[in-house]
Amino acid sequence: IGLPTNSAQECQNLEVERQRRLERIKQKQSQLQELILQQIAFKKLVQRNRQVEQQTKRPPPPNSVIHLPFIIVNTSKKTVIDCSISNDKFEYLFNFDNMFEIHDDIEVLKRMGMACGLEVGKCSPEDLKIARSLVPKALEPYVTEMAQGSISNVYISGVSSNG
Amino acid sequence: GTRVDSGLVARYKSLQKEVSDLGEAEEKLDELINKSNLQLKLLTEDPQNKKLGYVMCQDLRSTVNPPEQIVMVVRAPPETQMQVSDPSEGYQISLKSSRGPIDVFLCPEDSSQLC
Repeated sequence: IGLPTNSAQECQNLEVERQRRLERIKQKQSQLQELILQQIAFKKLVQRNRQVEQQTKRPPPPNSVIHLPFIIVNTSKKTVIDCSISNDKFEYLFNFDNMFEIHDDIEVLKRMGMACGLEVGKCSPEDLKIARSLVPKALEPYVTEMAQGSISNVYISGVSSNG
Repeated sequence: GTRVDSGLVARYKSLQKEVSDLGEAEEKLDELINKSNLQLKLLTEDPQNKKLGYVMCQDLRSTVNPPEQIVMVVRAPPETQMQVSDPSEGYQISLKSSRGPIDVFLCPEDSSQLC
């Protein structure tokens, strides 16, 4: 009679371990997807800028571009922003009288379409071809899965917004 | 109870197989994540890419809705701390850098190219 009890216990342990691993795999899948998106978005941005610079035959004026990394804070035109800055510019304090949103550069790139629509699993065959060409071979199957939105239920957007 | 036993043993074996398969899948993911992290680092630290890794102000405008919002750009050194107040206590952002000055500017509202 001892054996079934033990086996039952062992099965339960394995079941717990299985759940744990599934959970970790889910997290790691979305981590990998995010890294893939970042690679694709960054490469596409660089390609776009290179093309434009080649067409116009000169780099854009230095004060017309914003280099990565950055974050943006956007709010209504009517919002009053009160800003205090330390003398050395190491510390800032902003007070808004209304809601605002914060987005990181990767989110901005996604919204610019630099992730080929992969971030929402909506990717045309043409975009998919481009996206696949921008990642190492080993990652291509993941890109295809993302394009079909097949793991999109796992993926949670990295938007950091507030207000 | 041999029927129960054999049922359990079968379940045990299949669980064992599944757990081991999941372990392999996780290892493969770890490997891909490490490679991707390295790839991304090399990509973004390449001097040529660094030079070309930029957006224009119009790009930023195109990502906010409505486009005529106030768009503030923050460029801060690594490890800068950002705190956002709980909305119920007002709308506040504080930035604290330890490694250099923070740059903050507004995106111009008109369609001019300059920031």
